[in-house]
Amino acid sequence: MLERDITITNRLGLHARASAKLVQALHEFQSSATIVCRGKEVNAKSIMGVMMLAAGLGTPLTLRTDGVDEEAAMQAMVELFERKFDEGA
Amino acid sequence: MRLPLSGIGASRGMVLGRARLEQPSRYLIDERPLDETAIDAELERLRLAIEAAREELETLRSRLQGAMAREAAEFLDAHALMLADRELTAGIYELIRTGRHRASAAVKLQRDRLVAVFEQMDDPYLRGRKEDIDHVLSRVQANLARESSAEERRLAARVGEILVSDTVAPSELVPLAEHGALGVVLTSGSAVSHSAILARSLRLPMIVAAHDALASIQDDDLILMDGESGEAVVHPTAQDLARYRSWQRETAHQAKRLALLRDTDTRTRDGVAIALHANAESPADVAQARNLGAVGIGLYRTEFLFLQRHEIPDEDEQFLAYRDLVLGMQGRPVTIRTLDLGADKGDASGLALDAEENPALGVRGVRLSLRRPQLLVTQLRAILRASAYGPVRILVPMVSAAEEMASVRRLLGESARDLRTAGYEIAENLELGAMIEVPAAAIALAGMVHLVDFVAIGTNDLVQYTLAVDRNNDQLAHLYDPLHPAVLKLIAQIIQVAGRHGLRVTLCGEMAGDRRYTALLLALGLTDFSMHPGQLLEIRETINGLDRAALRGHAPALLRAPTRERISRVLRRLGIGI
Repeated sequence: MLERDITITNRLGLHARASAKLVQALHEFQSSATIVCRGKEVNAKSIMGVMMLAAGLGTPLTLRTDGVDEEAAMQAMVELFERKFDEGA
Repeated sequence: MRLPLSGIGASRGMVLGRARLEQPSRYLIDERPLDETAIDAELERLRLAIEAAREELETLRSRLQGAMAREAAEFLDAHALMLADRELTAGIYELIRTGRHRASAAVKLQRDRLVAVFEQMDDPYLRGRKEDIDHVLSRVQANLARESSAEERRLAARVGEILVSDTVAPSELVPLAEHGALGVVLTSGSAVSHSAILARSLRLPMIVAAHDALASIQDDDLILMDGESGEAVVHPTAQDLARYRSWQRETAHQAKRLALLRDTDTRTRDGVAIALHANAESPADVAQARNLGAVGIGLYRTEFLFLQRHEIPDEDEQFLAYRDLVLGMQGRPVTIRTLDLGADKGDASGLALDAEENPALGVRGVRLSLRRPQLLVTQLRAILRASAYGPVRILVPMVSAAEEMASVRRLLGESARDLRTAGYEIAENLELGAMIEVPAAAIALAGMVHLVDFVAIGTNDLVQYTLAVDRNNDQLAHLYDPLHPAVLKLIAQIIQVAGRHGLRVTLCGEMAGDRRYTALLLALGLTDFSMHPGQLLEIRETINGLDRAALRGHAPALLRAPTRERISRVLRRLGIGI
């Protein structure tokens, strides 16, 4: 199991389109993916779960992946956050 | 009784139609408990409704094209994922199975539950995302409410209707317009929202922020709406209807007048030929440009080849796109702009652009191309190969210094040599131009005239950079003004310096297609305009009615005017209200 702490840096936070990008990026991986936010834990492969976190700009998150391709799945997630979901903001 | 309503005009056009109110709660919710024997059938109904809703989203997505396609597609993707998500749907099935609710009631209960969670959110933007829940679940409700043949009835019923709602998703506008809806009146929203932008490109009249609309309009009320002024009248009087008829007559005349201009030259009253080019990014734009008599494509945006994908298009793919463009214009010249991307729109482009603090002032346009010469060389080679099929010019965006043009020219020369050596047929002496949109390039233009064959003015960015006003910042919208004396001076200076060195100047920002600025630009000496193809005929008509020599005589007064107000005053004296 892998774990990474990260902070949301895109201006609009985990809104619907950003959540969709995250879910789509994780689709190809077998490992389970989880986001922990303010003690709440959700399946990162579920768009509803991610949206309901209400995670806005500056929110600290813990990302967790577990499974055969956990490293690649973690990298895909982290990259998306670092690229600010390609919003350029 | 006549009832006037007012909002903000978001998409122009005047229409008279019947009101159709639409809000998330409009669907009939059957609250009666379900008989145990009917549970399985009800679960199946829900499954089919969700499936149908997903198919609708897919159909919508496959039909998207044009400038708004990428953003609209992102919304549709998000909505499709929500429908596929068990965390959204499992609760609804559960409400049917154990709660004995009918499907419509179960969907509504789930909606209320989720919306309550969103309403607790602190972040106002995320709180607003409950709209996404509504859009998705009302699509399911619509499918539940639909009987086998109700689909056609519902669509047929759109003819002659004006939709009155709180909000409308961009994805819903296309089918609305296709099915004959006349206009849209919304209680919320803004004129710069995605839906408003899309409505304008669909030519679907729209009023936003008409706060009282849902409260004061009933289904089937007759409404007269004016998407330009933002005014609507419920139960219009004979007088209103007379006003509408005269507007219709005027519009019909205008359309007829404009249609006559399709195949005519663009010439001022005193006989000066003016060249109207079209801006284009899709095959539809190119076809329209040709049909409406554009003299060429003045600005072909290549960004769309790079967006919405994870790999960079290779030389062959780019070549085919550029060749088809050249063939499509059948000998009329095509100006292809090299990649104009920056960190703000590098989405999923495969370019892996680094996020920047300030993308408007960052690595974009020619700066990106020169940092990644391979990217530029691939594009230049593809354009050079396309030049065998018809006249092509190359335009370089975001130039700020002569050195940049020197580098591009060197790479262009090398690429041409390599291609010839490899046996490719390519045009001799392809023209290379600089897009002047950075004030530095405008001010120091004389220092690069020996490196360029033509010049294009990009007013959208020139205004933004000259005035230091972010054009996407609503708070500063009043400061983003092409009529600022500094902007006029720069435009005049570019035209003058280029003219002195025998270079043609095309202006290709929003100003070129806005008839309020046409006389001003002629006065400043402009002879080449490039605009969205839909604006060609209107601008041609405007130019045909103007006297260039007389306007030129007013240039000194326009350039001397110290404030916007004084510039407007000079224009008013020329009979142009702005």
